[in-house]
Amino acid sequence: MATQVIARTPAHARIGAAPGSRKKDPGRVLRLYVPLALYLAFTLIPFYWMIVFALRPAGSTTPIPWPITFEHFDTVWNDIGYAVFFKNSVIVGVLALFSTTVIALMGGYALARFRFRGRTAFMVALLCTQFIPGAMMLIPLFTIFKGLGLINSLWSLVVADTVFNLPLSIILMSGFVAAVPFQVEEAAMVDGCTRMRAFFAVVLPQLRPGLIAVGSFAFIHTWNNFLFALMFISRQDNFTIPVGLSYTIGEYSADFGALAAGGVVAAIPVVCVFAVIQRYLVHGISAGAVKG
Amino acid sequence: MRSITKVCTAAVAVLALSVTATACGSGDSGSGGGGSDKTTITFWDNNGGVRTPIYQELIKRFEKANPTIHVEYVGIPIASVQQKYDTAIAGGETPDVGGVSASYLANLTGQQALEPADDWLAKSPANGKLLDSMLASVKQTAPDGKLYVVPATSNLDVIWYQKDKLSAAGVEAPKTWDEFFAAADKLTKAPDQYGWTIRGGAGSIFQLLAEAYAYSGVTEFFDSAGKSTVNDPKNVELVTKIAALFKKDTPEADVTNDFPKMVAQFTSGKVAMMHHNLGSYNDHVKAFGADKVDAYPLPVGQSGKRTVVANPVDGFSVFKNSKNKDAAWKFVDFLVSKESNSYWNQQAGQIPANKDAQADSWVSERPYLKSAVEVLADPATVVVSPPYYLPQYSSITKADTEPLFQKVLLGQMKPQEFLDTMAQKLTEAQAEWKQSHS
Repeated sequence: MATQVIARTPAHARIGAAPGSRKKDPGRVLRLYVPLALYLAFTLIPFYWMIVFALRPAGSTTPIPWPITFEHFDTVWNDIGYAVFFKNSVIVGVLALFSTTVIALMGGYALARFRFRGRTAFMVALLCTQFIPGAMMLIPLFTIFKGLGLINSLWSLVVADTVFNLPLSIILMSGFVAAVPFQVEEAAMVDGCTRMRAFFAVVLPQLRPGLIAVGSFAFIHTWNNFLFALMFISRQDNFTIPVGLSYTIGEYSADFGALAAGGVVAAIPVVCVFAVIQRYLVHGISAGAVKG
Repeated sequence: MRSITKVCTAAVAVLALSVTATACGSGDSGSGGGGSDKTTITFWDNNGGVRTPIYQELIKRFEKANPTIHVEYVGIPIASVQQKYDTAIAGGETPDVGGVSASYLANLTGQQALEPADDWLAKSPANGKLLDSMLASVKQTAPDGKLYVVPATSNLDVIWYQKDKLSAAGVEAPKTWDEFFAAADKLTKAPDQYGWTIRGGAGSIFQLLAEAYAYSGVTEFFDSAGKSTVNDPKNVELVTKIAALFKKDTPEADVTNDFPKMVAQFTSGKVAMMHHNLGSYNDHVKAFGADKVDAYPLPVGQSGKRTVVANPVDGFSVFKNSKNKDAAWKFVDFLVSKESNSYWNQQAGQIPANKDAQADSWVSERPYLKSAVEVLADPATVVVSPPYYLPQYSSITKADTEPLFQKVLLGQMKPQEFLDTMAQKLTEAQAEWKQSHS
């Protein structure tokens, strides 16, 4: 009898995958929710502390931010100059996003669709550039930008960040383009489209997850880049958020309230970007990573 | 489909605009006040952020007094100031005036980036007004013995304490090391309160050496044969005693304590005493209030001699590349004048370099500062000057030996072995330096 009962039990119920049986499986709590809860606690507690430090008055040691104060936000926004730094970061981030995405789209398409001599070597070279730390390129880039009159200009950051974003972005994008069957493009050309028109009409709409993945990576990398922002800029009004954040730790003093408030302000755009794009991003990363 | 096409078109348009704008707008960083008659000089603050409002006020006063000069302020975060200067020197884009600390002065003079200030000082109203000890300390750091930084401020290592915690435990501010160790023990009520905190992470060595030399009374960093005195038996004794406090009278997390974590522990009220310098005064006042916190100088050892390891002097340098040296020196003149120097140090809570500023009432109104000034002015005090002039000094006392001190705290290395290693490296560096400067 017992054997019969087991034999009749559906396989998905035995492994705890059936939606209806979720509540009845105590093992599921241990296997899934406990590790997830631990992971969430591990990642969210630092964020919680950041919010606590940002919202509680200086000198307070309570674990709950009460009474709430916004004095630290006032300090970073008005005294430290986040109002200006935030604007600069948005300008640089958005421009680097556009330039990276457009160039990566063109480069990725070429790598995916055309077979030419040195293609593999070019891909390897792109990968190798990822191993060069930005600090090593500082002085050569500084000299080049000086020659171009770009020092102290936000454009130096746009150009430098785009250049450093491009290798990974091109490789990712070529994976997305390769995932779109060439026959679809050919069919459009048979119907009378030029290659360009076929690209815009048939391929581009299918690259939306890729564009979002590459664009968001470019934006976040640019947003967080401290080194270039400090080294290529020597004008107070042109600094960006990461430089502003480092102002809160002085030689002999550290304003933790301002540091936390600055961290919250710096994190908000990144969190918003992830919230909007996360459903595209997961698909985008896996598609770009697997099909190449 | 159409919307994506539109987005792409917009992106290309933005890029095209970018290129156009790039061609038009470039960063003019030099002088010339946008067509006016004003001379523009750039000033880099080497501790940007915390001190920005102080400089903004001083620059406002300077521009009011000198309407033909405009000062462009740039705040450089302290953690990256050396790299910023190095990049600027390599790219030929240095400021006219910069805040410079003696701790990395050797690096800048090695690149011949700074203008000597000796001739300027001889003609300046500041001549004779700046503390001789600070001038000597800066000159000692330069390979040619010239003055490359005009001193503006100095610091002293002190032990900050929470007054109410000491009085609740019936403890007086310790004057000797024996009293100090007894106090650290008495103030500890683990895990709620600790008597002491050790800086075990970044920056640990400077503080440890300050404690060791204060304890041992050794007055020179190198003996006459050029051998480092860091591993003097009395220094070893102190390091052994400090390491013994770890986890007994200090939090366990101290092994990775850098300066912000150490101050955070102290200002959270969990630690009763903390070794730092005068510069963190504002943080403590913000956390506790001016009447709840005080400081005493590092205790005196059995020798009875008060030995103080000199903190790097901070001041202003004019860069060789400056195209407006007259205006730059004028600004330096203003910054080290009695009024400006007094204002700056009053805000920062540090020791003014200007003798007249030291006599201002605010100095005597702050007991911790008054005692610091008295210690430095006392003829019996011996100032031990660390070899900031050694190019390897920073790497030896940071990257090379900070992890070793952590090993000492964790019981994985003997204090003797740790100090022997450091002494050997310093002795070698000193011999190399002497050879290249002979």
